[in-house]
Amino acid sequence: MIGNALLLSFQVTAVATVAIVVVGLALGLFLARARFFGRTALEALITLPLVLPPTVVGYYLLLLIGSGGPLKEWLGIDVVFTWPAAAIASFVVGLPFMVHSSKASIAGVDPVLENAARTLGSSELGVFFRVTLPLARRGVLAGAVLGGARALGEFGATLMVAGSIPGRTQTMPLLIYDAVQRRDYGTANLLVLVMTGIAFLSLWAVRRFGSS
Amino acid sequence: MDRLHVDIEKSYDGFDLRLKLEVGAEIMVLFGPSGAGKTTALESVAGLVSPDAGQIVLDDTVFFRRGRLGERVDLPARKRGVGYVFQDYALFPHLTALENVAFSLRREKGRGRAAAAELLESMRIQHLADRLPQEMSGGQQQRVALARALAARPGILLLDEPFAAVDRPMRDRLQRDLRRLQEEMGLVVLLVTHDLGDAFGVGHRLAVVQNGRVEQVGPVEEVIRRPRDPHTAEMAGVRNVFHARVAEASAEGLVLDWDGLRLEAPAQPAEVGDRATVYLRPEDIKVLYPDRRIGESLRANRVEAVVVDLHRSGTVQSLRADLPNGHEVEVRFPGYTYMPLDLSVGGTVELCLRREAVGLLHGPEGE
Repeated sequence: MIGNALLLSFQVTAVATVAIVVVGLALGLFLARARFFGRTALEALITLPLVLPPTVVGYYLLLLIGSGGPLKEWLGIDVVFTWPAAAIASFVVGLPFMVHSSKASIAGVDPVLENAARTLGSSELGVFFRVTLPLARRGVLAGAVLGGARALGEFGATLMVAGSIPGRTQTMPLLIYDAVQRRDYGTANLLVLVMTGIAFLSLWAVRRFGSS
Repeated sequence: MDRLHVDIEKSYDGFDLRLKLEVGAEIMVLFGPSGAGKTTALESVAGLVSPDAGQIVLDDTVFFRRGRLGERVDLPARKRGVGYVFQDYALFPHLTALENVAFSLRREKGRGRAAAAELLESMRIQHLADRLPQEMSGGQQQRVALARALAARPGILLLDEPFAAVDRPMRDRLQRDLRRLQEEMGLVVLLVTHDLGDAFGVGHRLAVVQNGRVEQVGPVEEVIRRPRDPHTAEMAGVRNVFHARVAEASAEGLVLDWDGLRLEAPAQPAEVGDRATVYLRPEDIKVLYPDRRIGESLRANRVEAVVVDLHRSGTVQSLRADLPNGHEVEVRFPGYTYMPLDLSVGGTVELCLRREAVGLLHGPEGE
């Protein structure tokens, strides 16, 4: 059971983190460089999952992917109570970390350096990958690690959209809750230790590689 | 023969740029005060900003064209083949000097690196190859920035205030290098500066830019000696330029003979007997109070002069005065500085032509 939860958590977190990095980086770049009406509103919207109760986020997600939601009605995809739903929940709550962190560090890159790359023959994609991203790497790395760690620890929204089915959607945080309910303190202690270790390592890595 | 044709209009921040310029294989200096639109002109040629109308053509390649008939060409910066040396150089801080120079040569993989190393060597900066920009001096960064801009063999080179952060001896060396490179590569060079010394030291021709307009274009010497009108001269800050003979030259300094007036100047490259062009900014001529002790720095080059004109604009007071040698100089100072001093046209004043500021304008060697 512990092995299953560990594997599942790894799977959900990996998929969510990849999505967080790709989408978060694009949004961060967009918010740092583009000037448009409603920019602040968009930023607030992306940040909402950070401050809303996880159950509220889960409820919104159910509206989107549950029966009657666009994903099921229009595309015929039903992910509720499967691990992809858990990955979606993890993605939504982890995304704000990535967006904010990468936006701030990309905004700190001098646009003159990007112009220099353009005069040296770089395409817009080349400018991003050879100049902007390397110079913003610390913030981007920090955002990815924090977003990933938050995705790993996701509980409330996951419970609402994916349930807590052992072996199928029961990730580590859910198993801890379950174990405590069953007074299985051996399992709970072990998983709490594992989660704490991962969280500590993440923060250590951000400090160690993100600031020097 | 002219190779670069620029004729553009652009309005921004309530400012109106209308620039018309023809440049050949030469160093054309855009000279004028900051805020005159010089940098915007460079950015337009490089493709970093788009003009509102007009055209920019290099040889047979249309960089930009936007006419009344709705036709529109705006070649992206990366396809213009323009070398750009930015103000403060804009070297990539995460890359070494070699990687900076090889940036535009990446397609050629290993050969790009080799070509970059060769370029560093030809500019005698191969010892900097593995250094990051923050580990280099201003002059070193400038040379790396120049090498980077030239690496992809551009047809045209743009430089924005390239000598601003470099000390005097380094400046002379960089200017010689730039002249040599321009000649060897047959480059069209546009260089922006607000420093008359730079304009004189490196330029073939000078375009005086003010308020977004080209006021006068011509050989450097000609524009400085014969401004088209007093207006141009004033805008360019081209006054107090005169010829003098070098009477003494030593490690301590020079003594100049300006038609009978003895002028001391700090040490700079010159030989006894040279006819030198001398430039003194109006701010560097001080009016002395008759009844006050004179500081150490104002001991030399004192002269009695007759005020022929007084002019005040805003907080700046300027006056023109006749020197005993028959020449006229312009003096400028903040209006509040000499309040108690009674200045009037026809009256005499004691002036000090600050020794430290007496500078020789060096034309490029061999001319």
